[in-house]
Amino acid sequence: MKDFFMLIGFSEVLLVIFMQWEVYVTKIVKTFSIGSYIISIFLFYLSFVQHSYLVLILAILTAAIRGFFIPTFILRRLSKDPRRERESKPAMGTAFSIIISLVIAIFAYVLYDVTMLNFVGVLSGAIPVALIFQGAFLIISRKNAFIQLIGYMVMENAAFLFTGYLFPDLPFSVEAGTVLDLIGVVMISGIIMRMRESTPKKSDDFDELRG
Amino acid sequence: MSIIYILPMAASLIGALLCLARIEKFEEIISVIMSVSTIIFSIVILFLPDVSDAFLFLDGISKIMILTISIVYTMTVIFSTTFLKYIDEPLFQKRFYYLLLNLFAFSMFFSVSVNNLGLVWVGIEATTVTSALLVAVENDESSIEATWRYIIIVSSGLVISFISNVLIYAATDTLDISKLLTMNAFSALLPLGGMMAIIGYGTKAGIFPMHTWLPDVHGKAPAPVSAIFSGVLLPVALYAIIRVIQFTPVAYVKTFALVLGFLTVIIAASLMAVQTNYKRLFAYSTMENMGMALIGISLGGYALIGVFVLIISHAFAKSSTFFLSGNLLSRYKTLKIDDVKGVAKRMPSTAYTLLFDAMAITGMPPFGTFFGEIMIILVLLSVLNIGWTLLLVGFLALAFISMNFKVGKMIFSDSEGEKMDRKRIGTLVPIIDTVFSVAVIFFIPFISKVIK
Amino acid sequence: MVILSVIQLIYVLALAPLIVGIISTTEEKIESKKGPSIFQPYYDLIKLFKKENVVPAKSSPIFRIGPYVTFALYMLLTLVLPIITAFPLQFGPVVDFIGGGLTFGAAATFKKLMALDSRSNYAHLGTSRSASIGALSEPITVLIFIMLGVISQTNNPYVINNVLQTSTTWYLSLVHWFVAAAFFMVLLVETGKLPIESHSTAELGSIDQSMEIEYSGPDLAFFKWGGYAKQFLLMSVFLNVYTIPFWVPMKMDWNAILIYMGIQLLKLMGLAIVFAFFEESVSKFRLLKNFDYISIAFSLAFLSFLAFSVSR
Repeated sequence: MKDFFMLIGFSEVLLVIFMQWEVYVTKIVKTFSIGSYIISIFLFYLSFVQHSYLVLILAILTAAIRGFFIPTFILRRLSKDPRRERESKPAMGTAFSIIISLVIAIFAYVLYDVTMLNFVGVLSGAIPVALIFQGAFLIISRKNAFIQLIGYMVMENAAFLFTGYLFPDLPFSVEAGTVLDLIGVVMISGIIMRMRESTPKKSDDFDELRG
Repeated sequence: MSIIYILPMAASLIGALLCLARIEKFEEIISVIMSVSTIIFSIVILFLPDVSDAFLFLDGISKIMILTISIVYTMTVIFSTTFLKYIDEPLFQKRFYYLLLNLFAFSMFFSVSVNNLGLVWVGIEATTVTSALLVAVENDESSIEATWRYIIIVSSGLVISFISNVLIYAATDTLDISKLLTMNAFSALLPLGGMMAIIGYGTKAGIFPMHTWLPDVHGKAPAPVSAIFSGVLLPVALYAIIRVIQFTPVAYVKTFALVLGFLTVIIAASLMAVQTNYKRLFAYSTMENMGMALIGISLGGYALIGVFVLIISHAFAKSSTFFLSGNLLSRYKTLKIDDVKGVAKRMPSTAYTLLFDAMAITGMPPFGTFFGEIMIILVLLSVLNIGWTLLLVGFLALAFISMNFKVGKMIFSDSEGEKMDRKRIGTLVPIIDTVFSVAVIFFIPFISKVIK
Repeated sequence: MVILSVIQLIYVLALAPLIVGIISTTEEKIESKKGPSIFQPYYDLIKLFKKENVVPAKSSPIFRIGPYVTFALYMLLTLVLPIITAFPLQFGPVVDFIGGGLTFGAAATFKKLMALDSRSNYAHLGTSRSASIGALSEPITVLIFIMLGVISQTNNPYVINNVLQTSTTWYLSLVHWFVAAAFFMVLLVETGKLPIESHSTAELGSIDQSMEIEYSGPDLAFFKWGGYAKQFLLMSVFLNVYTIPFWVPMKMDWNAILIYMGIQLLKLMGLAIVFAFFEESVSKFRLLKNFDYISIAFSLAFLSFLAFSVSR
């Protein structure tokens, strides 16, 4: 179980680093889809280990919504405007952001070691914590709205991984509610992002959003 | 019998669904009826006994929250009926606006009445989903950018509160608020979960390091939406923090909240001094009040009554302020403080209400906010030494001076412009709100009885 | 033992051009071309040996002795790395892994000096690129060695091979595979493969190629032969230490060693074909993008460190 979790967790970390590296939005979305499928594989495995139907339902929900529906939704939004498919001006250099991402992983590890390790007792729980921080960093380091949304969902996925591995007996209603809320956020974001593309640009407007 | 407790939720939800009907003016009428009915229901609930079952948990705190939400919700709906026509190119039709507004109110009612911390989380996340499009109603680039910041920052913060729920569950084996409040054994994960909950819900409540979305959204959202955000949405997020601190009997979690609240007041008060945009000025004032409320929450006990006096009177005063800012914006067509001149001559009714409101939101007697802040500060004195308390009072004074100076400049400066005509409802609603925020002081004994 | 060392030396020097030939022939075949014979590098070397040297007028003696020094350094490395045996040969104790890395570094430094000394702008261009990329890929190599040290408690390539051959836990661990992946990425940098460097005549993207631009005749032959040997050594290390440490004889046994020499050639051919497919499926990065690539390699090496800490 632990080795399997390590494998899943580190492949997720690798996928996030790949997202930091990539500039094409479509590829990042597809990478996220792969990451969600990997998490649903983990949940499938968990449901077999625990003989729990609820976890099985959760795994199917994860695969269907995070793996298939949300990426498809975003990709459909993307294809309407190919111009947006690539991030033109990244906020910071790729190499720099990858290194920062690593430093964040170390920071998360130390943080986990100091705060939670004594109570949880599983050292590999640091991986999802690192993933949460890396997802947040993806939001900070990119300007493209789609990539920011992906960063948010990486955080959500990491939270799922965290829950699934360390505290698998969380009430089902809570986790299902999480999935439903995620759909809401993605739908609203889709509308907002389409509007961001279609509204006329007025450059002096942004002074109001400072300070 | 417990069906009565879900009536506010049901009313707002039914109101939302009826808004889908394609009948002229119908959505406004139905929204007003439903929102007024929530006030009636919530007043009835106030006198009913506490309830705690599998789904609902309502004690004094929840009841007062429901009452506050329903009043501000009603005021917002009534004000919206006059204000919406000033938006040039709305994002969607009027009925969708009311649909979302009612759903937004529903999710807030839901958040404060459910008996499961996980569902509280779901409700607060749902407030984000339902309110995001309301912010973008004006449909220009900066309001959409503000909406996007709101969605992404608040959702990311709420991921942290999700983790906090997981940790709280791991520490106590339950997420039911009723069980959490009465338990006595927990593992050491609980304080960590509590601190993460403060960070996560604090993002939604505009607490200092996570507050960055707040001025943008309040600055760009249409006036009624800013009013309902400031008045009740942020307190709903604080409600979750209140619950978490109630069942976390650990000193350093409370200290953590105290420090965050303190920093929020300091930062907000300092930033108020440099604002040139009146809606952002009011937004930072909201942040300052939320910081005070968080300080009170962290102190608990007697200060908690102060928190509710503050939250209620602030909800009325601040929603009134934002309604008036909508009036100003629709007449003057600018958000710059320097460009708004001679309000007293051109819009006398708005001007004097705004003058009182500016005093109310910065804690001047006889408004409720003053008594709320005094209660919090008195309890704070017993915990911190006088120097820190004076520092806090100093920053409150700074906020008071910068707010009233800037508002006074807008109101009493000279202007050659002619008197502008005004809608009755648009000025009446803020006046009623302001009266409420004074009237709160007569209910302080009642509030303390309900919370106890 | 001395005989084995000599055999290993001859094995490497003789087969190094063949691997290069296999890679380029396979690439041509993938492109549906007829392609050169796999022995083409040998023909090139023979032809170069028959020609005369041309030396830039303003160069110093370093330009002349350079190819021989680097060639000698690669020969030294041949004697100390596990190529056909998994037990130390006569010269094995001379250097450990770090020492091997330093020897590689010394050869690279000498190459840069030679290129600088050739007083050609193209050579200088290649040198500066090679130096800036090398300066960043070197820490990765060090990190990789440290992680191998964590696995085997030593810096000895032979011991590392034996540990990975015998311990399934280590062989299957994430620590090991992250190290192997990081080394593969460094290997592509060090051997000048796509996506780092393309083998075209365009100066804009060339790195190592432009460093030999002023050489001719036997000097160039030694330069090239040393490069082939370097590639052969690195590929052998990648196979024998990192990814497929199996079947390498751990005890002195003539038959086993003789058979293994054939197996090693097969392994290398397999890797050469993998390289060829890899080169055909990726395109060259812009020069500045190379540093992003290196940062990915670094993060892989670092993740192996993290994996070790987490799996404690």
